[in-house]
Amino acid sequence: MIVERIEEYVFGGLVTALGVFTLVDATTITARGTAGTVGPRAFPYAVGALLVVTGVAAIVATAKGKLGQAAKAADAADADTGLRTDWPTVAKLVAVLVAHLALIDVVGWPVAAVVLFAGAAWTLGAVWWKALAVAVVLALVVQVVFASGLGLSLPAGVLEGVPLLDG
Amino acid sequence: MGSLTALLEGFATAAQPEYLLYALLGVTLGTAVGVLPGIGPAMTVALLLPLTYTLEPTAALIIFAGIYYGGMYGGSTTSILLNTPGESSSIVTALEGNRMARAGRGAAALATAAIGSFVAGTIATILLTALAPTIADLAVTLGPADYVALMVVAFTTVAALLGSSPARGLAALGLGLFLGLVGTDTLSGQQRFTLGVSTLADGIDVVVVAVGVFAVGEALYVASRLRHGPVEVVPVGGRWFTREFWSRSWKPWLRGTFIGFPVGTVPAGGADVSTFLSYAAEKKLSKHPEEFGKGAIEGVAGPEAANNAAAAGVLVPLLTLGLPTTATAAVIVAAFQSYGIQPGPLLFTDNSGMVWALIASLYIGNVMLLVLNLPLVRIWVKVLQIPRPYLYAGILLFAALGTYAVNFVVDDLIVLLVIGVAGFFMRRHGYPVAPLVVGLILGPMAEEQVRRTLQISEGDLTALVASPFAAATYGVLAVVLVVATVVRVRGSHRSRALASPPSVK
Repeated sequence: MIVERIEEYVFGGLVTALGVFTLVDATTITARGTAGTVGPRAFPYAVGALLVVTGVAAIVATAKGKLGQAAKAADAADADTGLRTDWPTVAKLVAVLVAHLALIDVVGWPVAAVVLFAGAAWTLGAVWWKALAVAVVLALVVQVVFASGLGLSLPAGVLEGVPLLDG
Repeated sequence: MGSLTALLEGFATAAQPEYLLYALLGVTLGTAVGVLPGIGPAMTVALLLPLTYTLEPTAALIIFAGIYYGGMYGGSTTSILLNTPGESSSIVTALEGNRMARAGRGAAALATAAIGSFVAGTIATILLTALAPTIADLAVTLGPADYVALMVVAFTTVAALLGSSPARGLAALGLGLFLGLVGTDTLSGQQRFTLGVSTLADGIDVVVVAVGVFAVGEALYVASRLRHGPVEVVPVGGRWFTREFWSRSWKPWLRGTFIGFPVGTVPAGGADVSTFLSYAAEKKLSKHPEEFGKGAIEGVAGPEAANNAAAAGVLVPLLTLGLPTTATAAVIVAAFQSYGIQPGPLLFTDNSGMVWALIASLYIGNVMLLVLNLPLVRIWVKVLQIPRPYLYAGILLFAALGTYAVNFVVDDLIVLLVIGVAGFFMRRHGYPVAPLVVGLILGPMAEEQVRRTLQISEGDLTALVASPFAAATYGVLAVVLVVATVVRVRGSHRSRALASPPSVK
């Protein structure tokens, strides 16, 4: 619980920091010939102030023991709030997403999609070969639908030139 | 032209086979995402926003409205059969609905939810039809300062009423407003907060933000605490077509409708609040108060009617004032904008053909939804059983695909990932994501109206409150905030007291 409380402080701190950044960066926005009217800086100042105030308020609320998580009991169907946070799973999913976006331009969308789907399903507990099989079918179907049906072509990458897949 | 003639013409358009197909597609998708935990109508509409590049506006809006209505129907199935709500507006349904299902009366619970949704949806759509043109006529006279007042109402209520505390709700709103600032200022042409990155000069796309927080953020959150093992669905049992069913259901349906619709029309937190109010009313009025908490059918009939009526109610300010009060409505505004159409009072004069076809399709969609959710409910039970690893892997894949398909640049995926991770931490710490999306979409509109007002008044700030309408709006806002806070505190007390089930082990 103590770790989660520290996290809440950090998040509130980040909101405050973003507010400060907004206020500081807003002074660098060029505002020419807007005398007498409201220029492009006013709204950023207001938003920056809102972020600073709410960030601090969230920190104060946390200090008073009003944690954000406590109120969230019954709303996530597949999440068991009683469980400990499974950080390795979150990290793996983020890694899979990074791999996906790094691979698109290198090997094409279908292969990158297989990596994303199979990687995510396996991370979450699916049998690896089943996840892989579903991923291959799904990626190919989406690629064909985009290439032929929607007229929007996803980069085929290593599968370039293959009929149906390369739109 | 009278509204009735216009509505009939709308039906003539909406009844064309092509539009019927679009409506069917919308309501089917809507029911599916309503049933599936982890994805909701807001995210689905956001993912489908690229459709606006290829489809004409009427077709796209019919699909989106269908998804919105369908989500309200589908959520109840999950609540009743899994004891975990498919959507936040179905939390209350889980209280009584799941007890009914466990007691072998699942069929009656599902039927009263579906028929109640249909009755409420239809009555509320009739009210929408009757009210919207009148409100639009009145709204034509509103000036920029009045719009600013209305947007302030939307901001504060959405932010203050959702989430675990007002501070966190307003912080989420601030984050959304900040994201809306990134890009090139429309009035002065200056770049703001782009950090010199060219991708950011055009602003951050609504699709990327909505998909980031609703899909990626939610998937990461669920993954961090995933309930492993097979999904346990309560089998559907019992008969529903009985005299007792009808006699105990019809009054809650009507009461739910007349609670839900007004709550939907005012920006007071949308459908969720209406379900709490309806549940409280039914419990108080019931002849069988002892059954509440053990599977009282009124506790399903009322709230399920209320959330559908509220969904129709939300469309009133959306279509007549251009004011979104829920996340889904905000994303629908983004859809209008991508066609260069500004929802608001002029919609009924400038695009009357489109808006009446949309309204007519709501009636048709409701009939389709009744069929999809009553005789065909067993199909959705199958959908519920999709193994979770595949479900969430699929959500991530389609989130990435939908984002990538906006511009076909990998940079958007980087933004998606950053926003998704931020969404995960927001979710983890009780920061609601709906105010973020509303802020992102309404923020730039509000800024433009404020600056326009002050341009006319030559910088005189009192111009913002000078009009009687604006002054009255700020007054009403103060009252609504107080009342809603009281209601919310009571509602959450009730639901929390009942949400902790007697452990059956």
